[in-house]
Amino acid sequence: MRLFLALTSVTLRGILRDRMLRAILGTVLLLILLVPVFSMFSMRQVQELAITITLSAISFFLLVMSLLLGSSSVWRDIERRYTSSILTLPVSRRAYILGKFSGIAIFIVCCGLFLFLVSVPVIMFAASSYPSDVPVHWLNIALAIGADILKYLLVAALALLFSTISTSFFLPFFATIAVYLAGSASQEVFEYVSGQFGTELQPASVAVIKGVYYILPNFSAFNLKVPAIYGLSHSPGGLALTTLYGVIYVVILLVLAIKIFSRRQLP
Amino acid sequence: MKSESIHSIEISSLSKTYKGRKGKAVEALSELSLTIQNGEICGFLGPNGAGKSTTIKILMGLITATSGTATLCGLPVTDPGARKRVGYLPENPSLFDYLTAREYLALCGRAFAMDGESILRESQRVLELLDLREAADRPVRGYSKGMVQRLGLARTLLHDPDVFILDEPMSGLDPVGRALVKDILKDLKSRGKTVFFSTHITADVEVVCDRVAVIVGGRLRSVDVVDELLESGIEGYDIQVKNCAPALYAGLTSSPKASDITEIYVPRDRFNEFLAHLGKNGGDIHLIEPKRKDLEAFFLDILGKG
Repeated sequence: MRLFLALTSVTLRGILRDRMLRAILGTVLLLILLVPVFSMFSMRQVQELAITITLSAISFFLLVMSLLLGSSSVWRDIERRYTSSILTLPVSRRAYILGKFSGIAIFIVCCGLFLFLVSVPVIMFAASSYPSDVPVHWLNIALAIGADILKYLLVAALALLFSTISTSFFLPFFATIAVYLAGSASQEVFEYVSGQFGTELQPASVAVIKGVYYILPNFSAFNLKVPAIYGLSHSPGGLALTTLYGVIYVVILLVLAIKIFSRRQLP
Repeated sequence: MKSESIHSIEISSLSKTYKGRKGKAVEALSELSLTIQNGEICGFLGPNGAGKSTTIKILMGLITATSGTATLCGLPVTDPGARKRVGYLPENPSLFDYLTAREYLALCGRAFAMDGESILRESQRVLELLDLREAADRPVRGYSKGMVQRLGLARTLLHDPDVFILDEPMSGLDPVGRALVKDILKDLKSRGKTVFFSTHITADVEVVCDRVAVIVGGRLRSVDVVDELLESGIEGYDIQVKNCAPALYAGLTSSPKASDITEIYVPRDRFNEFLAHLGKNGGDIHLIEPKRKDLEAFFLDILGKG
């Protein structure tokens, strides 16, 4: 456990000492602080727009972070030969991958929580300038950010998996973006082919599309922005299933990453 | 606790084949078998690309062998626990450059299951030993190549392991650093530690090693006791004599050294005969110095370039 914590701490230190990541965080913070100004462009839905922009900014930041950190995690350590200094200690490759992921995960979770805390006074300020009929549902906003955090942990795990088989930044980065885009649209495509349009397609094509739908992570399941903006209620069962789905998917991706990395020949 | 019956390093029929360009198989190691006894210092000598680093990477679990087995302290090298009693220095170590030396050593200490107090104490000891105390709280990215090499060595010494595996330990060091490393190796030898180090500098092997294994083209070509090798390489003796009649060394190469001292080169096969003549006819021996092939000459012989 001490070793796992040490590996997590080393990954976290690497992230926190990266100037580029700090600059991105600074930019997003600035964007969130400017939310009251942007919200003024909507004459009647200032509060709703403030929540939308804030959640979108947080979501975009977490996406960029999970993509960058996951994609550059393992292959960069191999390329810089950090692996030869860490994996020649009594450290298993499993511990290394888990330590790496947990460092990234802690950073993503902390950033999500920090940005939520920053967004609270910003949304309150924006909402007070033009009060809405719908009260601000803070729990829904927190749930939306929580679901986003889980979604981007999944993205990070996916990028880390690609990173274990890659020798450069490009494969993990672009493959993760491709899966992210496909996974974000898969629910709509599934519903489309499951309806009237599906009867016009070859059964084999429908089966392939449905097969891909089940394999790809369904990122749209984590989108809880609309209930957060308009104060709609959630089904606790649905939330629990989404959480379970995310956690199981992350575990599967990490197991695959460990399997692949354990077989990898290192410089 | 060191078990005397278990060899520190045991390599048996180790082979490694890479896929080269166009899928062509490249044999980096072929049927390598080598045993390193407890408490010995063994040099692993070979030209560039001979397979030294490949062997060491297999021992440290970075790459897997195509066939054959290897153990460290009795445990298979595929088991991370095998590295608990091993201090490893990679060739041109690349350490987390955003960490300070102290942070890096703390990470290593935790990996070796050292307690917090021991990590602090031992980190301080090795940082002082390797003259890194002043730089200990600076990020590694600001270190020179020699400082990184010394930090790599500090890591190997941190947990006082029984076995040291060093890949080109003198690489990137200035003469002071090289002398320091040699002193450390001698100290390890005096403390009964096992050291297996690769190098292509024969002089390093001569100074510190008990045995030398020579690898060429992925095949182990010889394993010799360094002292025996050097002894067998004696070709003759430079003998400085006083008050010796010139007739006694007629036919031998000689040169005057001082007014009454002459240096004579006596081939090995005529050494006893010459001493017998000298004893019978008078003359004092001032100095006898064996002239021998150095390890480099042996190495070049093995390579077929001598």
